[in-house]
Amino acid sequence: MENVKRGLGLLALALLLTGTVTADAEAKKPWEKIRIPELNEIRMPEYRRVELDNGMIVYLAEDHEFPLLELSATIEVGSIYEPADKLGLAEMTGSVMRTGGTTGRDGDAIDELVEARGLAVETWIGQNSGGAYVSALAGDTDLGLELLADILRNPAFPEDKIKLAKEEQKASISRRNDDPMTIAQREAMKAVYGADHPLARHPEYDTIAAVTRDDMLAFHRQWFHPDRMYLVVIGAFDSADMIGRLERVFAGWEPVGTDLPADPEILDLPRTVNIVDKDDLTQSTILLGHKGIRADSPHYAGVMVGNRILGGGFSTRLFNEIRSRQGLAYSVGSSAGTGWRNPGLFMAFTMTKSESSEKATDAILAEIDKMITAEVTDEELAQAKDGILNSEVFNYDTKRKILDRMVMFERFGYPADFLQTYQEQVRTMTKADVLAATQAVWHPDRMTIFAVGNYADWDGDFAKYGPVTMVDITIPEPSLDIPEATPASLEQGMALMKAAREAAGGKRLIAMKSYFEKTKLDATIQGMALTFTTEKTVVYPDRSHTLVKTPFGNQTMVLAGDKAWATGPMGARDLEGDDLANAKEELSSDVVGIFRGLDKLTCQALEPREIEGTACLPVYVTGFGDGYQIFFLDEATKQVRMVQQPGVSPMTQAPVVQKVYVDEYAEMDGLPMPRKLRLMYDDELFGTATVEAWDADPKVDMALFNR
Amino acid sequence: MPIRKRVPLLFAVAIALATAAGAPAQTYLDLKDQIQEFTLDNGVHFIVLQKHDVPVFSFRTFVNVGSADEVRGVTGLSHILEHMAFKGTSEIGTTDLSKELKLMAAEDEAFAALKRARGAIEAPLARYELLVARIPADRAEAYRPLEGLLKDPTAEVTMQSADGGPAKVTVARADTEAAKVEEFTLGAEETAAVAWYLAELRSLRADLVAAEEAFAAAKDAARELVVTNEFGKIVENHGGNGLNAYTSSDVTVYHYNMPSNRLEMWAYLEGSRMADPVLREFYTEKDGPVTEERRMRTDNNPIGRMIEQFQNLMFMANGYHHSTIGYMSDIETISRADCQAYYDKHYVGSNMVVTVVGDVKVADVRKYAEKYFKDIPRGKPEPVETREPEQLGEKRFVMKDPSQPLFVAGYHIDNVRHPDWPVYEVIADVLGQGRTSRLYKRLVKEEQIAVQAMTFPGFPGQKYETGLLVFALPVKGKTAVDMEEAIYAEIDRMVADGITAEELEGVKQRARANFVRGLQGNAGMASQLAWYQTLMGDWRELFNEVERLEAVTLDDVKRVAARVFRPANRTVAVIETEDS
Repeated sequence: MENVKRGLGLLALALLLTGTVTADAEAKKPWEKIRIPELNEIRMPEYRRVELDNGMIVYLAEDHEFPLLELSATIEVGSIYEPADKLGLAEMTGSVMRTGGTTGRDGDAIDELVEARGLAVETWIGQNSGGAYVSALAGDTDLGLELLADILRNPAFPEDKIKLAKEEQKASISRRNDDPMTIAQREAMKAVYGADHPLARHPEYDTIAAVTRDDMLAFHRQWFHPDRMYLVVIGAFDSADMIGRLERVFAGWEPVGTDLPADPEILDLPRTVNIVDKDDLTQSTILLGHKGIRADSPHYAGVMVGNRILGGGFSTRLFNEIRSRQGLAYSVGSSAGTGWRNPGLFMAFTMTKSESSEKATDAILAEIDKMITAEVTDEELAQAKDGILNSEVFNYDTKRKILDRMVMFERFGYPADFLQTYQEQVRTMTKADVLAATQAVWHPDRMTIFAVGNYADWDGDFAKYGPVTMVDITIPEPSLDIPEATPASLEQGMALMKAAREAAGGKRLIAMKSYFEKTKLDATIQGMALTFTTEKTVVYPDRSHTLVKTPFGNQTMVLAGDKAWATGPMGARDLEGDDLANAKEELSSDVVGIFRGLDKLTCQALEPREIEGTACLPVYVTGFGDGYQIFFLDEATKQVRMVQQPGVSPMTQAPVVQKVYVDEYAEMDGLPMPRKLRLMYDDELFGTATVEAWDADPKVDMALFNR
Repeated sequence: MPIRKRVPLLFAVAIALATAAGAPAQTYLDLKDQIQEFTLDNGVHFIVLQKHDVPVFSFRTFVNVGSADEVRGVTGLSHILEHMAFKGTSEIGTTDLSKELKLMAAEDEAFAALKRARGAIEAPLARYELLVARIPADRAEAYRPLEGLLKDPTAEVTMQSADGGPAKVTVARADTEAAKVEEFTLGAEETAAVAWYLAELRSLRADLVAAEEAFAAAKDAARELVVTNEFGKIVENHGGNGLNAYTSSDVTVYHYNMPSNRLEMWAYLEGSRMADPVLREFYTEKDGPVTEERRMRTDNNPIGRMIEQFQNLMFMANGYHHSTIGYMSDIETISRADCQAYYDKHYVGSNMVVTVVGDVKVADVRKYAEKYFKDIPRGKPEPVETREPEQLGEKRFVMKDPSQPLFVAGYHIDNVRHPDWPVYEVIADVLGQGRTSRLYKRLVKEEQIAVQAMTFPGFPGQKYETGLLVFALPVKGKTAVDMEEAIYAEIDRMVADGITAEELEGVKQRARANFVRGLQGNAGMASQLAWYQTLMGDWRELFNEVERLEAVTLDDVKRVAARVFRPANRTVAVIETEDS
């Protein structure tokens, strides 16, 4: 159906398609009778590629239609190179390069200059490339060039603009769970690549706080070099003259001369099913995906054609079926799974009302399944080819697009005629070729599923796709920065703790000789929901008896003066050394113990902070052993809202930050006692505890403390 | 919510550039003279700019109708109609038009019947709820299973009761396994509820279920003859790129780019969907994709939720009162007949501007336009005349939401054709656009209480009396209210002292540069020409605006700032973060 006119050069050849689209000989539709004339020749714009003395690769194209100059730099840098404990370093370096100005030009002065002259000057660093952009009226050519070179070479990174960048990062962290699409895109990457993968990880308050000016200077020094940079220059200039100017402004910038480190490997992980449960949503955002291929794979053309049929356009199987016929979604589609630098992600996505979450997911998987089990139809193949071949001209409709693509091909090692080869492959592609490619690259049963929505309202249980992981997207609070204590902060801290003791029962709490407490703990350990009951009897000053009932049997721990022992299903043993010391320390360092021993402790008031929506006054308490505790007191009531201290994970025995939140107070035996508690380890929920009984000065059977 | 960054003009630019760079001859300076236009007999206005460097073209169809033209009951209809313009014509998208039209008529009838059934049950259902509410709490739970049985249309229910007193109810059900009889002994309140249910509700409920099923069946039947998305398929198969459309308060815009040898194909496709659209798959589209779009943009997005009600509050009377997406209840109840009537009224030649920019000849565009756009009737659309009355006092909307805080303030201003419009642009630019703007400098750089603070004129549209918006996001730990004082302080300073000569000159210089940048690219140019033709009445205004902006004086700014920035002219909305 396609007549190719020969003899007009490769590009024109690819595009000079005449003839009709999927003509049907029997009954032509009205639009099929419309004559399609030959396409006018695509003239490749004139351009030059030069390598400056310092190794910088420059592509130039003159354009005298408008009196403008556009400079667009690509730099080999990215957040994939930043250390895991300083996430955000790359992005902030990219922004402060611009806002902070240079060693010779103040950042605010650059702002004033840029705005007054109508320039545009921006810099940024993304995941695996950085960039700088300058747009100027032709009359400001030299100014634009100087600014670009100065910003790239001599950024000053002043502290005040670093602080601004940090505020911006913190605000964006705090807002990152406001929009379901943002959540899905961010968290799905962690599910597909692995949470710590450089292409998936993201900044937290602590990693932002850890970044210093020295880090930025070092990061800039390490990554910004002329031989790691490509510059596209388009506008109203004479190329030879422009090359001279570029040599001058970038003179003296030394090349680094080494190769880039290898990119982090992308693993082909098996399917996981992940859900973020948000009960304020009426619509689910659903992403499915797995590792794809690089564009130099032999299956590239096959999956590009396949995706044109599956979900990459306005009239595809996914769009027709899920949007138009079933009416389940506004947004639905897929991407082929190809990447230029790294293997891409084969992905499908949709957003649908809660009540059709499973239906839509099933429908997407079924459509993908069809693509790998049966050949596409002749009509679909012909249309996909027409679509790709007829729109090819749009690869050449701006100079910027053409030169940017050349830079990309050069960076990632693709031949200059890559697109022409691709066109030819598409032209000769068969249905069997498409099936072979989709079968090789697409595996619906291995697609990781990620969904954000109100799980209770869904039409089906996603466990049918595999074991479901409920993803906690709680934003980790920043760790506390403990400043040097001052007499004032110590005095204030002690006063606050005394007020907290008053709020907890005051004199009665101090005067009591013993207490009994029964607590039920519901925890999830390795996927199992378990319940523990603890009965604790304390007799001051030095005795405690704790009975823990577990699904695996009972455990008892007794402290009696200078002796301590534990008994359990495995037998009994004495506690000595560190174990004995810990048992003794616990008596003085539980909340009651702290309040009773307040006079011997050091209490330092910290900066006020909000805890789960409650304004709190934190007090840093030390002096009861090696550790510390931070009491977060409700500003209004002075009751304890949360206690933070170093702990040990019951599962892995790893050191963790333990936080105990008080969710409910109740009067027990005449005292206002915490009744419902939440235990968090490193901000992940471990369990919830309910205090079922609490007695001050109960009758105690002293035989409990006999061996 | 597309927001136009307006650009001013050529003349001043030419001077500025001639002195700075030595303006190149025969380039953009005579662009204005290269633009050609013609009007069809039916009023469709075509504007063509030939640019032959690449064999492609871009077009824009601007229909001068937007959500501001909707009245209560049909909000969201402009946007629904935009979706319907992708469903094909009497030639595109069907396997058998005449059969399909009959099935569509049956579908409409089924929808009307469903609406009647929904309406009929409303009052009896409300009465029933009242009766149920009177059942004492200790017996209410026991009543629920009985209510479930009553809803089963196959169940036979008998009730024995002394007059008005307690009763015994027997329900016999034809279960799958065996007939099942259950007995309930009721108090007086339950008896009243059951009696009402049996007498009034039961048959209405059965009618409603039947109507729902009939409607679903009618939709399925009509869909059988549809060639799904054939319109889009043709565009894409011919190399069309960027196929899409959008609806705003002011206009409905259709666009894509085509290889230039497809000019006639484009004219056929675009002309016929404007002249002869068939509103097929109407109910599936509005209950499916359109509703999901509302969920995505508005209901599940905190800023979307907030902006919709902010708009409801700020504009009391004119068409900007409601959002473009429309209220959910209107989307649910709008019928195809509503949509057809709206189309007939607004999609007329005198309401349409088509711009074509790229590798085309104006003679060809005219030839094909005359062939394919001629069947659009001329029409005589009458705009809604309701004007926004003066606001008499400050309005405030506090939304407690689990999301992070946000501050928005809107001040009423005139429409884009008002002589003071360029002054609004200057005010918005100096106050809140870019890193040197007053709000950015004070809130972000100096006080460090905000991460973003910006202003722009023309929310939600520009055609009618509209709003100048101030928008700010606080840093972590600060609230919307924490920023409010500093924002008003900057505004008050502008009212008291105006702006500086340097600031005014900066605005003008940026505008000159942006004007030149805005002339690049086929799509951008097609868009600008259509926008000026539609909103300002003449595309030449694109090239005339420089004088308007150049004419703004420091006194103008003071005068207009004092008039606009009065607390009584202000509507404020904030998000206060609250745990869900």
